[in-house]
Amino acid sequence: MKLAKRPKIRRAAGANNMKPNQIIFAVVLAGGLMASESVRADDTADAINQLKQQIEALDQKVRVLERQHELETEAQETKAREVPHITIGNNGVSFGSANSNFVFQLHGQIQVDSRTFFNDKTFHGPNLQGNDGFLLRRVRPIFSGTVYKDFDFVFVPDFAGSSVQIFDAYLNYRYAPWLQVRGGKFKTPVGLEQLQADQYTSFNERALPTDLTPNRDIGFQLWGDVADGRLSYAAGVFNGVGDGRNSANSDFEDHREFAGRVFLQPFKGTSVTPLQNLGFGIAGSWGNTFSNAGGLPSAYLTDGQQSFFAYTNGVVANGTHWRLSPQGCYYWGPFGLLGEYVISDQNVRKGAAKADLQNTAWQLAAGWVLTGEDASYVGVTPKHPFDPRANHWGAFQLVARCAELNVGNEAFPIFANPGASASEAKAWAVGLNWYLNRNIRVNASYSHTSFGGNINPKTATVTRQPEQVVFTRLQLAF
Amino acid sequence: MKSILKFAMVLAAVVFAGGVQAKDITLLNVSYDPTRELYADINTAFAKQWKEKTGDTIVIEQSHGGSGKQARAVIDGLEADVVTLALAYDIDAISQKSGLIAKDWQKRLPDNSTPFTSTIVFLVRKGNPKGIKDWDDLVKPGVSVVTPNPKTSGGARWNYLAAWGYALKKNNNSEAKARDFVAKLFRNVPILDTGARGATTTFVQRGIGDVLIAWESDALLSVKETSGNKFEIVVPSISIVAEPPVTWVDGVVKKHGTENVAKAYLEFLYSPEGQEIGAKNFYRPRSEEVAKKYAGQFAKLKLFTVDEVFGGWQKAQKTHFDPDGIFDQIQIDNR
Repeated sequence: MKLAKRPKIRRAAGANNMKPNQIIFAVVLAGGLMASESVRADDTADAINQLKQQIEALDQKVRVLERQHELETEAQETKAREVPHITIGNNGVSFGSANSNFVFQLHGQIQVDSRTFFNDKTFHGPNLQGNDGFLLRRVRPIFSGTVYKDFDFVFVPDFAGSSVQIFDAYLNYRYAPWLQVRGGKFKTPVGLEQLQADQYTSFNERALPTDLTPNRDIGFQLWGDVADGRLSYAAGVFNGVGDGRNSANSDFEDHREFAGRVFLQPFKGTSVTPLQNLGFGIAGSWGNTFSNAGGLPSAYLTDGQQSFFAYTNGVVANGTHWRLSPQGCYYWGPFGLLGEYVISDQNVRKGAAKADLQNTAWQLAAGWVLTGEDASYVGVTPKHPFDPRANHWGAFQLVARCAELNVGNEAFPIFANPGASASEAKAWAVGLNWYLNRNIRVNASYSHTSFGGNINPKTATVTRQPEQVVFTRLQLAF
Repeated sequence: MKSILKFAMVLAAVVFAGGVQAKDITLLNVSYDPTRELYADINTAFAKQWKEKTGDTIVIEQSHGGSGKQARAVIDGLEADVVTLALAYDIDAISQKSGLIAKDWQKRLPDNSTPFTSTIVFLVRKGNPKGIKDWDDLVKPGVSVVTPNPKTSGGARWNYLAAWGYALKKNNNSEAKARDFVAKLFRNVPILDTGARGATTTFVQRGIGDVLIAWESDALLSVKETSGNKFEIVVPSISIVAEPPVTWVDGVVKKHGTENVAKAYLEFLYSPEGQEIGAKNFYRPRSEEVAKKYAGQFAKLKLFTVDEVFGGWQKAQKTHFDPDGIFDQIQIDNR
């Protein structure tokens, strides 16, 4: 079967022209598409470039911010180095320049005591001994500081007495720990307990040997701690003061007094732990005073600060006055021991009568920190400062002491009244110290002092019977 | 008798010679920011020379920072034996405010006490993508310029005065147009370091900015340290002669007993060896001989001095950089 022929399709006129148009259309369309593609590509490239630029700009901004932060930190660090520093703590207040060339510190000490004397009244008569009562024992602002890192200064007035007194006022130059120079008014380097800071003594009052050692004097001293403190030395020249005396602000006569001390702590810093805080040494003074009562002690005082010996009127220091004091202390854990022996040998005169009087004294004081903290020459630091809410009660220390002072027999009867002045005093004391924290302390102690010599029971007052005193103290020190 | 006398003299000479022991001496050189490398080399060379000459060992300690800041530090007590600062005004300030430096200090050493000079050029990134050619390009929008703070940096003050001087010369000495030009320039500054070396750190190490206005010495050093791979120097059509001066601090050297060695140290900067070290560290030497040797290292460009255009540093400082001066006003306007 033959297939039907396909009918011929008659193309309309111009039908052959469609093809080129299509081509043109196609070309145009293609061109348009290509152009559009190109435009899109350009757009994309533009967009990419724009994005790149934005990213670069942002990158720069971030870098600038980081660098600004870096410079601000550097500037703050520089400023911090230039800013003075202020600290307040249990060691007082301290102001310092940024470079530490100028440091000023304020410390302080307030001691409020009570003394209660027992068996000190006569029947229908006056008090034989001190008045019972409260007293401000010490009220001392302590101004200290350092200039240019090596020059220290200390100024301590006391407001507790009836008039303001200057106790310490000195400059100290530190060339090195082993070589320092001090000038001004400060403690003479003789008595061990005298040299102990007031806030650290075991009892309210220092023991009898301190009656024989100089207190504070005006002069210059070379001193230092050698070999990390295993050897301490001090050697100075001073105006010279009588036993137990505090120097007035000018000398009472022409001659000088030399004083020196060497103290060893041979095991300090070693591995021999039980002996690390063993210290012993010797101190002394030597000077001349002629025809001046200022070179004599005003009196020898008991623990209760009552006079049990005084030279009679008209007695003057006249000649050499030397002192010698072997001394030592030992601390191990809660146990502490301090001992010293003092000889004070002085030439005196009353009218034509002259004598070389030698007075001696010794003490031995011991303590035990019941709460286990370490005892030391510089007090006790409680492990748990007082905070009853936390059941913390501070540190407690039992202390005991015995001491004796003997006046040379040659003092009587010409230079001292045997009826009133004792030729010896023997004292013992016990006490309990409560360290609430490093700054606040409460003491309570009992002291008993008996007197020997030819005391006249009818006329003597203080020395007629033993002195029995109960002390308390509330102390703030910072 | 004569032989005894001779013997005694010889013995005395031996004892005396034995008694004269070599000393250890320390000097403090308080310098401006970008001179670390220069003085590291100078100090080594001088210490060696001094040891050979006197037997004494000398250690020279360096302090670097913005020139103005360094001057302030010396006034406030920093015990500099010598100061080597960016501009004479800063040393004058020390002399006037502390009395530690004699008033005629600038006459004590040759060339107004400036052993080297430098100038101000541009450091740009390799390929110079922003097409920086001259000062005008620095004020175009989109160009980020790095320059330190003229309040603290001596280099920054040289930069500022170089820009101002260019604008003056271009605009027929119009102060208003110069001010406008410098204001526009500082609008393009994103961050102000305290010293010239800090600004170099910002540009080179932190990658901030398109152009650093720099000491020529610092720019050349940056190119050298990056082996020419990261930065290029663009020399402007005109720039300023920067004359960083040096002097000993009378009050301090007398106290330290270092007067002789301090003078010798600064005189060393003028010696052939000192000049050579300066040139190697890209400072333009005063010595004609050394300058000839290193001529190829330094671009030739038109230069003006601060005296010619501004009437000296005292006037320039008062007009532009003192509190409420033109720079402060520009900064306020630019906020």
